Amino acid sequence: MSIKKMKDNLYERLNLSRRSFLKTTAAGSAVVAAGGLIELKTAKEAKAFAYEPYPKDDELQTVVTSCAHNCGSRHMLVAHKWKDVIVRLSTDDGRYQRGGHFGKDTNEEPQLRACLRGRSYRQRLYSAERLLYPMMRVGERGEGKFKRISWDEALDFVAKKMVYLKDTYGPTALVDQSYAGASYGVLHKSDQIEGLLGRFLGMFGCRTSSWSVPSYQGTTFSSRMTFGTIEDGNEDDAFAHSKLIIMWGWNPAYTFHGGNTFMYMRMAKQRGCKFVLIDPQYTDSASAYDAWWIPIRPNTDAAMMAGMAHHIFTNNLHDQSFIDRFCQGMDAGTMPQWAQGKENFKDYILGKYDGEPKTPEWAAKICGVAAKDIIKLADMYAKTKPAALKASWAPGRNAYGEQYNRMAAALQAMTGNIGILGGCAEGVGKAWHAEAVAYPYDQYSNIWFQAIKSDRWAHCVLNYPNVKREEIGLWQREDETDGQIPNIKGIFWQGSDWFNQLTNINKEIEAINKLELVVCMDSTITPSGLYADILLPIATHFERHDTALPWYKGHYYIHRPKVIEPMGESKTDLQVFTELAYRIGGDVFGQAYNPKANRDYFHVNDNVDEAYLREWWETKVIPHQHVDMSWDEFKQRGVYKFTFDQPHVAFRDQIENGARFQTPSGKIEILASQLAQITDWKKTMYGYEIPYIPKWIEPWESLNSPKTKKHPFHLISPHPRWRTHSIFNNCSWLRETYEQEVTINASDAKKLGIKTGDTVEVWNDRGKCVVPAYVTERCMPGVAVLHEGVWIELDENGVDRAGNPDMLTLDEPSPAGAFAYNTVLCNIKKTDLEHRPGWDKLATSRAHVFRRDL
Amino acid sequence: MSESKDKAKIKEAVKRRKRETYTPVKPDLQLGFVHNNVDCIGCRACEIACKDKNGLAAGPRFRRVQYIEGGRYPDVFAYKVNMSCNHCESPACLPTCPTGAIFKRKQDGIVDIDSTLCIGCRRCEAACPFGAPQFDPSDSIVKKCNMCVDEIEAGRKPYCVMACMMRVLDIGPIDKIWAGELETVAVGPNDQISRQVKNMSDIELTKPSIGFVAHSKGKVK
Repeated sequence: MSIKKMKDNLYERLNLSRRSFLKTTAAGSAVVAAGGLIELKTAKEAKAFAYEPYPKDDELQTVVTSCAHNCGSRHMLVAHKWKDVIVRLSTDDGRYQRGGHFGKDTNEEPQLRACLRGRSYRQRLYSAERLLYPMMRVGERGEGKFKRISWDEALDFVAKKMVYLKDTYGPTALVDQSYAGASYGVLHKSDQIEGLLGRFLGMFGCRTSSWSVPSYQGTTFSSRMTFGTIEDGNEDDAFAHSKLIIMWGWNPAYTFHGGNTFMYMRMAKQRGCKFVLIDPQYTDSASAYDAWWIPIRPNTDAAMMAGMAHHIFTNNLHDQSFIDRFCQGMDAGTMPQWAQGKENFKDYILGKYDGEPKTPEWAAKICGVAAKDIIKLADMYAKTKPAALKASWAPGRNAYGEQYNRMAAALQAMTGNIGILGGCAEGVGKAWHAEAVAYPYDQYSNIWFQAIKSDRWAHCVLNYPNVKREEIGLWQREDETDGQIPNIKGIFWQGSDWFNQLTNINKEIEAINKLELVVCMDSTITPSGLYADILLPIATHFERHDTALPWYKGHYYIHRPKVIEPMGESKTDLQVFTELAYRIGGDVFGQAYNPKANRDYFHVNDNVDEAYLREWWETKVIPHQHVDMSWDEFKQRGVYKFTFDQPHVAFRDQIENGARFQTPSGKIEILASQLAQITDWKKTMYGYEIPYIPKWIEPWESLNSPKTKKHPFHLISPHPRWRTHSIFNNCSWLRETYEQEVTINASDAKKLGIKTGDTVEVWNDRGKCVVPAYVTERCMPGVAVLHEGVWIELDENGVDRAGNPDMLTLDEPSPAGAFAYNTVLCNIKKTDLEHRPGWDKLATSRAHVFRRDL
Repeated sequence: MSESKDKAKIKEAVKRRKRETYTPVKPDLQLGFVHNNVDCIGCRACEIACKDKNGLAAGPRFRRVQYIEGGRYPDVFAYKVNMSCNHCESPACLPTCPTGAIFKRKQDGIVDIDSTLCIGCRRCEAACPFGAPQFDPSDSIVKKCNMCVDEIEAGRKPYCVMACMMRVLDIGPIDKIWAGELETVAVGPNDQISRQVKNMSDIELTKPSIGFVAHSKGKVK
């Protein structure tokens, strides 16, 4: 077809030729904009737009939906569609909620505006990497050679193989690597614990579960041990009330933590709040909030915090009455009866046990922050009320990362900044546990036959059966199978690109070739998918019915209707598991797995999905969350926003009304009762001892270790802004705004003869990658920053030309399960090897960085 | 984009262009942008919203968030200057257009390109001191921000403004913006408006319709 003909057809189809514009009177007459900002007496002149065909929003069908990924927040997307095609996306503009109108954006009910990733969803939906048909591998694993097969063939293959593996190798043969790639729907859910895959494999009777969370296991552990819950977060609007916000390794300008956190922080700034950033990088958060930047050596945060605690204790700046009332083990006076003779936190800090007072000077030698700055910050934090120490997850993704988070909780407690508006007890920072599951979550959910630390699967596969339980963090079981090493022979990826995202990719490559079944369920062909035997095309969240929850801050529900029909032969995860259940176990398994459906569900799922969601809304959401909106009204509006009399603050009830904390003692456990009573660490999922009070522990690699002779740089791999982990890596709009590059300090670069834009090798003994350099004064000397999530692109020598930091990370988690993503030493040099981002080089971002003062 | 250009129409437009070249349209009301260089987190949601709205592939960027950084470790600073088309009082692009495709709207001062007239010669691109006109190789014509006239005519604001997560980008009558009289959360209670900041061309060239909250290191004079 000629281009002209194609265009004409398109014009005709969209009924949007220039002529039709001329004929049609504009759909919406000029209205006075909300707030009276613009008053326009438009003449409705027939002028062409700069580009045709040009469908206006009001000529398209509007459907409210939301983003769906594991990103840090959950925002509204509004699809503007023509028939079955989404023409463009907009976001919340205040019109859709009850009582809403265009431009409504109050502090109580702020708009849920999507970030750059959300705005680029159309590129992901309609991408060339979109998986549309079931595929079977015909080449080697990783080679990327597949042939198209029918659903019937694909599901039969998987079902037969599953039965064979279970019969041959037992109930631990399949490892569940479902993750949050499609999470936070309530019906179509991929997740380690609440996921559809977990229930399916559990019912089937063959599942090794992956228990540690890559992003924040250190933090989760700390929050559970200290507060007894991970719901230690305030709502985002509480940040507007702080007088001091310490962003510890926290970069909300990149991670968009919570729906509108960054916006409320701006409000705090306007009210006079001071900001501090402790981070190896001067981030965009630091500049936007005009923060005092304290550069710190990676993986030494707990030491600096100990130094702060020392200053606070020795200068009597702590809140003794708060400690006495609410804390266990903070000092000698708050030790429980049963723990007499055990160490308390204050005496540890003062050096009573090891003869080493944790003074600011002591800390300075470790963390590289001048003692006077540690003292100044400790002073500020102890004397400014209320003050929010936001202990982010990144410093917890380290060797002994849990100690950093536990230490932060001790600081938060000793200054009495917990349970008060403007304070902060985060941690994990989850503010609200919405009703999260609309599919049957019952006795069959999360059944597992062994559970391992998530990044130890390759180690387990490669060394089976000569593996000690502590090496893989085996979760204890109450039956005779306790301690049995799982015999992993297959992997299921559901909403997960873990092969690309876990640590030490070279070791994973070695391990995956030992497996007999690798199944990848995704809507995109990911790097993981290239290593799969079977690719199953999964409908995106635009193509299935669901409801969105805030990710962990924000109080609202967003309806997610089926905006368009599933593309190609895509099916939902629930359809796939239901059909597999029928194929493996007939009606008994099929109906138990999906009780509202019959076998037609694989072809017709709308009514069943609607029934699950309606039931969830009417029996859980309305009664438990006191929502006063019917399911039908919710569907019609697309969004329900809660309003509160006062901002939600974690532990307010405990502090104001004396309610118990959810810990064994009912107190904030600086001394963790549970840990203090463990005698045989090997029989716990931790495997190795964890101190029962927060302590500084030297990591296995850091800028202080002798290993720097060989590998002088400390590599950190934070979350990027232009991807959600590995998702969106293939979107050209996003790739145009940023580039995968390693950030290094200008003085380091000078020594190495590297300039911005030069291609460099980043390597250590575990692996190597090739990436352009970005040279800046905004990064601490000795530190290299390489954002996680880029899709690996291996050359014939196994060198990653795309620049994925997980070629270099170590698959050895911290005892509490924290992935040690940021505990990595490396070396850097200029190279002749070519960087291959995987697509044409699009980034122009650096053309827009100016250093005119140099 | 049109396959064949209407010659009569071009003639008519060239006549109009000759009339307008030396006497730019005096709009009844001039709309313009306001951006807070300090509070902007540089997330570029505005850029992506713009690309989606206008159906652009990678390449042409109507809106461009510039990252400016300076200082020496550890005393560093950074800020953002965010610009699309400034819908200037005397647009440099307009008189360069040989076909009269560029026009300035009387009612709101928005500068737009009539794509049925544009022949893709890219003279406007060279003339603009702010880099607003963007050549789109897929259609072989120049395109640029038209402040989402369709949204404005529907009583709403442009996509970039409605995309701003920090609420630091807004539009309004430019006189009000410069006078600090526009009611907008883009400008904080203690913020002053600057017409000229560092890292942008001299505003005397075209008198761009834009105001900024400047960073202390980005102030001129």
